[in-house]
Amino acid sequence: MNQAEIRKLIPAVRVVINAKHRRFSNPKGPEGRLMMMRKTVTELVKLERVELNYQRGDEARGYAERLIASAIKNGDCHIPTMEMANYWLNEKQLVHKLFKVLAVRYRDSTESYTKLHKAPNKYPGFFREKAVLELKGNPFPPLEPNNSSRNWIHNILLEEAHQEYIKKKLKEEETDN
Amino acid sequence: MVGVGARSGAARLFGVLQGLCRETWGCQARGVATRASTRVLPFIPTQDPDVIRKVPHDFRVVYPEFLPNPVPEWRNRLREKIERKDMLARRSNMPIPEFYIGSIMAVTVADPNAAGKTNRFVGICIQRGDSGLRAWFSLRNVIDHQGLEIKYEMYSPLVQNIEVLRLEKRLDDELLYLRDALPIYSTFPSDMETEILQEGAPVPVNPIKVQLKPRPWHERWERKNLQGVRDLGLPERFYKKAKLHEKPWEKYDLMKEYRATIPEEEQADIFREISSHYPLLESTRRRGKRKRVLPSLS
Amino acid sequence: MISCARTRYHNNGDEKRELLSSEVTKVWSRVGGGSGLHTSAPRQEIRKMARLRVVDNSALGKSAMLEGRPPKCIHIYNKRGVGFTGDKVLVAIKGQKKQAILTGCHQDQKPLVPKFDSNNIVLIDETGSPLGTRIHVPIPTMLRKKLTDMSRPKGADYTKILAIATRFI
Repeated sequence: MNQAEIRKLIPAVRVVINAKHRRFSNPKGPEGRLMMMRKTVTELVKLERVELNYQRGDEARGYAERLIASAIKNGDCHIPTMEMANYWLNEKQLVHKLFKVLAVRYRDSTESYTKLHKAPNKYPGFFREKAVLELKGNPFPPLEPNNSSRNWIHNILLEEAHQEYIKKKLKEEETDN
Repeated sequence: MVGVGARSGAARLFGVLQGLCRETWGCQARGVATRASTRVLPFIPTQDPDVIRKVPHDFRVVYPEFLPNPVPEWRNRLREKIERKDMLARRSNMPIPEFYIGSIMAVTVADPNAAGKTNRFVGICIQRGDSGLRAWFSLRNVIDHQGLEIKYEMYSPLVQNIEVLRLEKRLDDELLYLRDALPIYSTFPSDMETEILQEGAPVPVNPIKVQLKPRPWHERWERKNLQGVRDLGLPERFYKKAKLHEKPWEKYDLMKEYRATIPEEEQADIFREISSHYPLLESTRRRGKRKRVLPSLS
Repeated sequence: MISCARTRYHNNGDEKRELLSSEVTKVWSRVGGGSGLHTSAPRQEIRKMARLRVVDNSALGKSAMLEGRPPKCIHIYNKRGVGFTGDKVLVAIKGQKKQAILTGCHQDQKPLVPKFDSNNIVLIDETGSPLGTRIHVPIPTMLRKKLTDMSRPKGADYTKILAIATRFI
């Protein structure tokens, strides 16, 4: 009691998670909550980008990350991982996708496998906040524009001017010496 | 947080220090309090990850109290670091051997009320818990037909000596059912000699199946999925009710399992931090493990 | 609510209507049908009416235990109303009232204090002299300090029971 579980070694989840699970009151109780999470994770693996409520997306994100992490760590010959994938993915061809496509895609990744974007709310309210949960490296166009100003023309010109200045200074120092 | 005038100067200073500590040490996986629930940030290792290979694979099993309690609200990196330092200091003074639930141990404590000012108790370890300096274990024995249990805090300065007389594991993680079992299974002689194991041999698992006394029991053992008890011999209705209470979905609950553990990388980080003390820790471990002399009693 | 269920009438203010069968089952399950009943975890405290085990060899204690009518605690001599190891209690044993010392509790104890499988008492009289001549079960060493501390204000010597103990744990 009050000790960490030591039976299994679990890799760290690379996303921010809540200290406590969200209850998601369900007629079937905790089992129903897990079935709801299962549906979301299956849809995410199938479609690679899903629109849902923020709370559900944030909760399902943890499960998706853990599933992919264990698939990468253990591979598809590890029986407990296979059983876990079998439980979490309602469609059986997605189990193959998990091990053959997603595990390969994220094998060398050091960051999270999913991204949760906040979406515009159609109606105000704490539990009505919308979100889009997507797997990184999906084939769709990016949701958020890349606002990096690095490739703007004046920044490129300034960068080049700076490099020329440095070269000129080094040459002057050489000629002085 | 708290109103400015609400606390004393010392308390406020401590609060500021705590906050600073949280900032400096707690950048990895710190808790940020929000309206709904504490958010736990991802873990960032502070030690060199290439040293991961040097961490012995079974450290978490042998030294589980070095791993902190995973509940984020109760975590404090600085406190844990200082505690680990103190734990190692204590261990260098009084070696704490490797033990598991089901091992038979003898503990000598300083007792001002006892004859000779020390008190020795032999018993089977039925429970262990807590992390850090609070780590404790509970020994059970039946003496003069009276079952008794004593709880010992491992790092208490009153504890003078901890010996492991028989190092073994059982089929279950907690042996609380021994309270409802026949007394023979909890009886161990006070003058029991140390049974020593072969060097490098794995810790033996005692496959004993204990027989319980007839009901009433302390807990509904039929609902606990115990491996180390014989057939309980209860009417069918008990098992039917037990089935209703089962939660078969819990073993698939990845996040529940995650929240109850310390992640692999963090464990490695913690054990790497104490790596300079490996020789001391390992020599303490090996002290109990030498050639097997006596057969184990089952 | 049971009577309501039996007569199948639900008195909702002035209205009376028959209970639906689903509501009836809900009432039953709430009252005693099993999963609806919530109980607190057992705390194994020694309070009034707790049955205790006499562990000395006094004639009174032995006969009471053999009969299968163990003594019941009727008063605890401390401010809390919950007995701990070493507390004096008043027990009702074979129709008599006797004082006793709790030498072992089933409740979880602090570290280094032993916890016993049964709540043990040793019968004493007002001066603290035990009724029996021997205690055949182990008793905790912390009693030595606790009983001496108890004896000082009372003028009685409760440490006499330590003299008849066979083993200290």
